[in-house]
Amino acid sequence: MSDEGKVAVVACAGMDKAFGSVAMLSVFKVSEGLRPNETRLIALPPLLAGVAPLSELVTKLPVIVVDGCAERCATKLIAKSGGRIRGRILVPDCAKKYGLTPGSASNVGPDGMKLAEKVAEEVASIADKLCGRQGN
Amino acid sequence: MALPTSEVGIISCSGEEIPEGTIALVATRLVLEKLRPDKTVTICLPLFLAGDKNERDFAKVFPTITVDGCEKRCAQIATSNLSGRPAYSIVVTDTAKKHPQVVLKSCERLTEDEMKIAEEVAEEIAAKVDAILKRRSAKTG
Repeated sequence: MSDEGKVAVVACAGMDKAFGSVAMLSVFKVSEGLRPNETRLIALPPLLAGVAPLSELVTKLPVIVVDGCAERCATKLIAKSGGRIRGRILVPDCAKKYGLTPGSASNVGPDGMKLAEKVAEEVASIADKLCGRQGN
Repeated sequence: MALPTSEVGIISCSGEEIPEGTIALVATRLVLEKLRPDKTVTICLPLFLAGDKNERDFAKVFPTITVDGCEKRCAQIATSNLSGRPAYSIVVTDTAKKHPQVVLKSCERLTEDEMKIAEEVAEEIAAKVDAILKRRSAKTG
């Protein structure tokens, strides 16, 4: 299936932070559940290690980044790759906004799952706008 | 630079695009939190890639095991190029091949069978951690 017309979605890997795990869960929810045909999930490591032909994709498709912490690694790395960032979400901001506190990196708990759903809905909403589509 | 003898670094791919990547992450966390919590440390691969000298020194300071989801070996390649040669490299697909009956499906939530593969990978990582520490201990007397 062609990636033309899709929106690229990128999350930090958040190896040791609960917010990072929420970031990853949220993009899975978008790419596997909410908008599987409208979004293209892009993994950062192959993009940066240059082992997959992804650099062209991030410069062609509009990109939504989801960062797990203030380091904003996903944003930095996409910007460094020349990506067209059109939407940015910082999970800790969403946690404050919705009053949800995830558990740990390996078990985000019920609040973390709910937060991932909220973040995923925000990503899907931005993707809809970028695709010129309202609501779904 | 003083080399720590008591801790081993683990760098996992984040593998968002394939279930094997999630297995790599889960296996790494099992080692860090349950199997060898006091003997292992990690760094987030994107932070390692985006970071400065402090982050890039990781594999110089800690003997490092990379855990990749697939044969692209992003964690291994990035670690070798930016920091230092990993002491060991583990690829989840090698372990998954031993279980052809398990069809890997979702990145979001591992099935019971996928979780068993993650546990097997975690045991492999823990065995490598022990091997590194044994070797270091023998060297330092």
